[in-house]
Amino acid sequence: MQDPYKVLGVSSTASDEEIKKAYRELAKKYHPDNYVDNPLSDLAQEKMKEINEAYDTITRSRKNGGQSSSSGGYSSGYSSGWSGGSAYQQANSAYAQIRSAINAGNLQYAEQMLDSCPTRDAEWNFLMGSLYYRKGWLDDARSFFQRAVSMDPSNGEYRQALNMMNGAGSPYRQTGYGPPAQQGGCDMCDMCTAMMCANMMCGGCR
Amino acid sequence: MFGYVRPLVPELKVKEFERFRACYCGLCHELGREYGAAGRSILNYDFVFLSMLLWGGRDSCDYCHRRCLPGLFRKKCVCASAPALTVAAGYSVILAYWKAVDNRDDSRGAKKLLSRAVCLLLKRPYKKAAGLYPAFDKSVRERLDGLHALETANCPSLDRAADQFALLLSSASGAAGEDSRRVLEQLLYHVGRIVYIADAYADLREDLKDGRYNPVAARYGLTAASPDDGTRESVRETLLSSVDLAAAALALLPKSYWTPVTENIVLLGLPDMIDHVLAGTYVTAGKRLPKRPQLGQNGE
Repeated sequence: MQDPYKVLGVSSTASDEEIKKAYRELAKKYHPDNYVDNPLSDLAQEKMKEINEAYDTITRSRKNGGQSSSSGGYSSGYSSGWSGGSAYQQANSAYAQIRSAINAGNLQYAEQMLDSCPTRDAEWNFLMGSLYYRKGWLDDARSFFQRAVSMDPSNGEYRQALNMMNGAGSPYRQTGYGPPAQQGGCDMCDMCTAMMCANMMCGGCR
Repeated sequence: MFGYVRPLVPELKVKEFERFRACYCGLCHELGREYGAAGRSILNYDFVFLSMLLWGGRDSCDYCHRRCLPGLFRKKCVCASAPALTVAAGYSVILAYWKAVDNRDDSRGAKKLLSRAVCLLLKRPYKKAAGLYPAFDKSVRERLDGLHALETANCPSLDRAADQFALLLSSASGAAGEDSRRVLEQLLYHVGRIVYIADAYADLREDLKDGRYNPVAARYGLTAASPDDGTRESVRETLLSSVDLAAAALALLPKSYWTPVTENIVLLGLPDMIDHVLAGTYVTAGKRLPKRPQLGQNGE
């Protein structure tokens, strides 16, 4: 196993506070919410696991060494990954298949399935959007999400997807010299959006 | 289409800026040594970025002191030749050659003569580079052909057109190590997408005047060179979404000597470039960059 201090990017003499801070920063960076629908989400998950393990190892060894440790907060970690989205009920089995194909990164198959769908309802538009997002065709993805939302404005999942395209919850925005905008904090609303985004694509992968 | 990927210099530490400059000079010397003066003339920031990404997990860089035309009287500190610089130099020659061929076939009159001369000058360097990197050469040719077909068909999908150039750039990840190839592919895809769309936006006026295909104009059905606010915001959104995805990929690359600079480029440099391109205030900086008249006129 790798040196846990190296994983967190701190020296072995760092204080508990410093370690916690480094851990929190990394956990924020590799959080699954930043990799929703991202083709690299598996790598981010691995990284997250690594960080959690390193943090656990350090806090455990320090506790045993008699040092006071203020472990807590994130320590239970995100290592369990995403839950399977059990609440999600999928009526249409073709759509469920497409969903899992997109989740698994099998984009060609998903595209064929979508092309052969007879109906072009809100869900179809949403799945097309997800597919294009995954491909990196972000302009088309946005148009499809917009259409899905306008066809079924009551669906929270579609709205979240569109919000995500508009940069809601992005950790990378508003750091430059561009038009001034307030620095993104993390209020309850953001958390809620983030959780819903995370849940968005979990429906098919059980 | 070059010169869009560069750091936001005021946000770099002084040592990071000196490193960046040394890398820029290092690539210039590499081009000069391997491909002669013609090769040196195609130096651009985008491939400095690529060489930093291809550096791998190495946590160091060797420096040496070299003389060159701008530094005739005082030797400059430059990066010594490294595998990443060699590859980036070869790739940039291949891309520059095919872009020149494209220009030659597309332009008329004096411009045609000029680009024909560029093609002739780059012919020999290109042959050498294509011999060294046949896979990249093949993918550049295929993608530019694909792009050409879409241009001829007046493709209304911004993504479909950008996809070709994005795939072209992402094929440069083939030179990376096994562990980071997938991440680099995604990162370069989105950087390529951003460059293509930003360049199209910057060229709007010129393209509409000359009646050339422009993906932004085709996507939004523009006929005047000054898009309305809605269009501009829509382009900004789609570009910033790509920045998000590029940044998410960058975070997964192993830390290297260049990480502070590459993070600056993606997280600050690209959004800043996008702001300026959309405001019409972007100037492809660096007097040492190849002068492209249509890019120089965006500052009005």
